[in-house]
Amino acid sequence: MKISTEELDGGITKVVLEGRLDIEGAAAVDLKMNVLAGSKMLLLIDMQKVTFLGSMGLRSIVVPAQTVHRRGGKMVLLAPQPMVEGVLKASNISSIIPIHHELSTALVALK
Amino acid sequence: MRARYGGRDPASIMSGKNTHKAATRLTLKSQLAELSRVWPWVDALAAEYDLPEETHFAIDLCLEEALSNIIRHGYRGQPDHDLAIDFTSLGTSVTFVIEDQALHYAPGEPTEAQPANSIEEYRPGGLGVQLMRRFAGTLHWEPLPHGNRLTIGFTTAQPPGK
Repeated sequence: MKISTEELDGGITKVVLEGRLDIEGAAAVDLKMNVLAGSKMLLLIDMQKVTFLGSMGLRSIVVPAQTVHRRGGKMVLLAPQPMVEGVLKASNISSIIPIHHELSTALVALK
Repeated sequence: MRARYGGRDPASIMSGKNTHKAATRLTLKSQLAELSRVWPWVDALAAEYDLPEETHFAIDLCLEEALSNIIRHGYRGQPDHDLAIDFTSLGTSVTFVIEDQALHYAPGEPTEAQPANSIEEYRPGGLGVQLMRRFAGTLHWEPLPHGNRLTIGFTTAQPPGK
């Protein structure tokens, strides 16, 4: 599992996740995700290259989202693959963390 | 074009010329690190039986949730116990049977994810069983004298090909 970040205009931090967000993948990204959630206000999580998502991977998204929300910030998810989006919907996370399939609408949602 | 789910070239999984059949049984020690051995095995089965991507994904999801629950809760993190997974294919279904010698567990009653009003209210606990019930075709648990047997079935649109 790989994680990288890019600073965008407007104080938005784009976080690119790549690989399997399974137990092993979650362990690989948790620390960095939590650090970002504790230090950034606007997080755009690019999930285009996430090929798998399990319950431990869901925690790697939900816990930072709760942290950034408590700090007054926002998190949105960008373009998950259909099967990954199916997991997000089955767990009802899609109802509390917005999913956008276009970068332009994701950026608007963070403003 | 997006790569086929699983991320590997089926030809490389099947030892080059499809002359090597994937084993139908995999045994693991009760350690989360052992899960890394499961995915190549499922990839090989998916390639050999030409399983649809959605079925392959659902198998990976259900096996990760089931096996991690057994290791973390059934065996309570004790690392030297055994688990066995058996694969069968019949008609339009494929089945995985997981047997262990862990404490008895019964997957909870079917529940739907409860909509949360806000991110703060959301509690991710219990998602594993919930996801298994959503993504598996069938899920059957039975206690054994010294362990558990969990049978997870998946339906394919067509008979798994050979």
